[in-house]
Amino acid sequence: MTPLIKIKNLAVELQQKVILSQVNLSLAKGEILGLVGPSGCGKTTLLNTLAGFIDQNAGTITINTDAKAINISVDNMLPAEQRNIGMIFQDYALFPHLSVSDNIRFGLKKLAKTVQEKRCQELLNLLELADFAHRYPHQLSGGQQQRVAIARALAPQPSLLLLDEPFSNIDARLRHELMLEIRQLLKRLNMTAIFVTHNKDEVFTFADKIAVMDSGKVLQVGTPAEVCQQPNSWQVADFLQLGSWLPVALLSNGPAPSITSLLGNLEQQLINVGNVSLLDDSRHLQVLVQANAMSLSPTTSNNVIVEHISVTEQGYHYLLRSIIQDSPLAFRQLSFNSRELFALGTELAIKITAEHLLLYQAANETRNAE
Amino acid sequence: MLLASLNASNELFSHLWATVLPEYITNTLLLALLVALLTLCFGVPAAALVSQTNLVMAKQLRWLLMLPLAMPAYLVAYLYTDLFDYAGPVQRSLRAWFGWQSPDDYYFFDIRTIGGAAIVIALVLFPYVYMLTRTAFEQQDRNLLRASRLLGCDQRQSFYQIALPLARPAIAVSLTLVVMETLADFATVQYFAVNTLTTAVYDTWLGYSDLAAANALASVLLLFILFVVVAEQRARAGQRHQSSRPNNQQQRKQLSIMQQLTASLFCWFLVLAGFLLPLVLLLIMVVDYADYSQFIALLSTGKNSIEIAFYSATIATIIALFLALFQRLHQSRSRKIPLQITSFGYAVPGTVLAMAMLATFGPIDHLINDLAKALDLKAPGLLLSGTVFAIVFAFVVRFSAIANGTINAGIGQIPKSLDFAPASLGVAMVPAIFRVHLPLLKSSILVAWLLVFVEAMKELPAVLLLRPFNFETLSTQVFQLISDERLEQGALGAVLIVLFGLLPIILLNRQKDSQ
Repeated sequence: MTPLIKIKNLAVELQQKVILSQVNLSLAKGEILGLVGPSGCGKTTLLNTLAGFIDQNAGTITINTDAKAINISVDNMLPAEQRNIGMIFQDYALFPHLSVSDNIRFGLKKLAKTVQEKRCQELLNLLELADFAHRYPHQLSGGQQQRVAIARALAPQPSLLLLDEPFSNIDARLRHELMLEIRQLLKRLNMTAIFVTHNKDEVFTFADKIAVMDSGKVLQVGTPAEVCQQPNSWQVADFLQLGSWLPVALLSNGPAPSITSLLGNLEQQLINVGNVSLLDDSRHLQVLVQANAMSLSPTTSNNVIVEHISVTEQGYHYLLRSIIQDSPLAFRQLSFNSRELFALGTELAIKITAEHLLLYQAANETRNAE
Repeated sequence: MLLASLNASNELFSHLWATVLPEYITNTLLLALLVALLTLCFGVPAAALVSQTNLVMAKQLRWLLMLPLAMPAYLVAYLYTDLFDYAGPVQRSLRAWFGWQSPDDYYFFDIRTIGGAAIVIALVLFPYVYMLTRTAFEQQDRNLLRASRLLGCDQRQSFYQIALPLARPAIAVSLTLVVMETLADFATVQYFAVNTLTTAVYDTWLGYSDLAAANALASVLLLFILFVVVAEQRARAGQRHQSSRPNNQQQRKQLSIMQQLTASLFCWFLVLAGFLLPLVLLLIMVVDYADYSQFIALLSTGKNSIEIAFYSATIATIIALFLALFQRLHQSRSRKIPLQITSFGYAVPGTVLAMAMLATFGPIDHLINDLAKALDLKAPGLLLSGTVFAIVFAFVVRFSAIANGTINAGIGQIPKSLDFAPASLGVAMVPAIFRVHLPLLKSSILVAWLLVFVEAMKELPAVLLLRPFNFETLSTQVFQLISDERLEQGALGAVLIVLFGLLPIILLNRQKDSQ
């Protein structure tokens, strides 16, 4: 099946700075892609380039609609208004001088009046805005404004919908509910969408596929489960906070390498990420440990101290530091869950119980030293 | 003033009404309408070109287009009359080239008409429209324009459907400012012999010595001003939706060569006609007619101007400081009222204000003199209405709004928490004001003082009506020379007025840039 949108080797430079390079992505019709990454990683630039607000310096964007394929390249730039792409802005960008229904009808001017009226009415009903049709944006609540933004973007029936941090202005309690609601709506309309967020919870709730970006590059693309279970790099695992980092040292290399840490030796359990070449340089190695992949070990001597306690619905979450601090393998913030309550400063004996661990080389020394 | 106008002798007033008043009112309104239309045609396209296109030298034109504000309309009126009337160099050259003998041989527009006055006034007032509209364009949320593009508008459509409608409140505000200034204009219309309400007030008082009728006319003018002020307030209310995301990154419209040429011609015409040409003409006069006696005369009038401006600026700034601090630190709900009342003064034309001063201080002066007589003391004369006091008082009333605005903006920048922090450290409110607020407001105070000072240096009609006998300021002297058709002898003073007028524009520009 041909993908609805295919981005090939896309590169963008702004003021002689590389903002995006070698971006490759494709998305089937009806799929929702979440773009995540730290601030400044280029995700919003990617969105703006797709929309046509920023010109690309290399690469192609192909959009396959039912009727035709639109090819956008450096030699064939298409102005924003001819791309058939809709966008929901972070602050919604509703036209303050137009009523709700005029906002929704704004992109329908080329259609006959009766068609405009019909589609506007449908969207007002679909998004439960019928009672507010004649109000102005400033007379609406944040959630209602977002609905209007969605209705307005959907009205011209775009082939692709872009959402720029769509939930950042919604208060935390409503956010989850709204995310589910909008996801269902997009699925019902079989709408293809790309959204940007820096919130990993949003991406796991809202997306079919996620793309993790850093420094203008896409590091990994996959379903949330794939990325979660097999993060392909230290940065991906670190940004998505899939666990905490335990510094380790290599004892023996080979098909079944053996490694050691301040929590004891971790032998056969270990799974390499497939980046074996990294192990040639064995500095700054860390394994990703999930908070519930450890347990108290009555048989070994104490190896950690409780540094911080927070209460969760499942018990207590602790941040632990190693008792030994003058070793290169020392750590300060290892996450650990337990139903038992320990006082601050308590010394504990902890062991790793996970069957699979992922080994990475830390992105830089400063982070490793933390 | 309103009370005094009730005393207007019925006879004179009905005579006025039967003869000239309808014409004066028509002229006033027609002039305001024409100026509004012209400033709209000058200011809005200039703002759009500078902020939305790749116009050549847009960076320079950005501030050049503000300069005409420094040029008093009456100076332009005088200089252009010189240039364009029958004996002026333009018509002389035309006659020489084409061999015309008399005015019957060709048509040339007459600048000394209401249309000419409107053009001259519009040439120096359009920067209000230009400035506010440009700011509105530049501050529009760029996402709104982007959204319109994604919904199918091209650049042009998105300008007409989004950018322009969103700038409408700003345009409306600027037009009300223009109309207020036009209604207040006295010298230009007087010079062009176009009879409006301001000239009527002046003539009735100084010509017929009928204070009551002059007050009545001033009241009519005040009524028009009130109408404009209400319109202005309403326009401002609509300005709710200016965004905090400046639009400087938007793609500018690429002009074709023809468009580039037309646009440049248009903008440069405005700069030339509104500022550069009059300035050059003035400078030529200075060079041609400069002599020592002129310089000496300038010194004494200059001293008067500076004295009045100094007192006015200092008093207005102190009052503004008090009011702003009161509003900020006082808890009552009515704390904003004094500030709002004083801010209204700026809308009142100098002529009207002067009449109000005479109506207020005249009776008080009489009372003082009667009292002195009763006590067998020497009568002090016109202590209030016949001295510099009345002028300074009028200036403080008229320009308080400027000082208030500046100091209020400055105080708005001080975080609210700094009001409470001193108390938490055991410092009482008054010492806290001296140790925290005043030091932080230093630059605002300076700017406020300077702006009032400059405005007071330039103000003309109020001084003309209120000045003591034989008391001349820079502006009254220049105006007197203009009326006598011998500006040459005072060109240096005129240049000084223009230079003073440039100060606030430079300040304004700086503030804009640093934002």
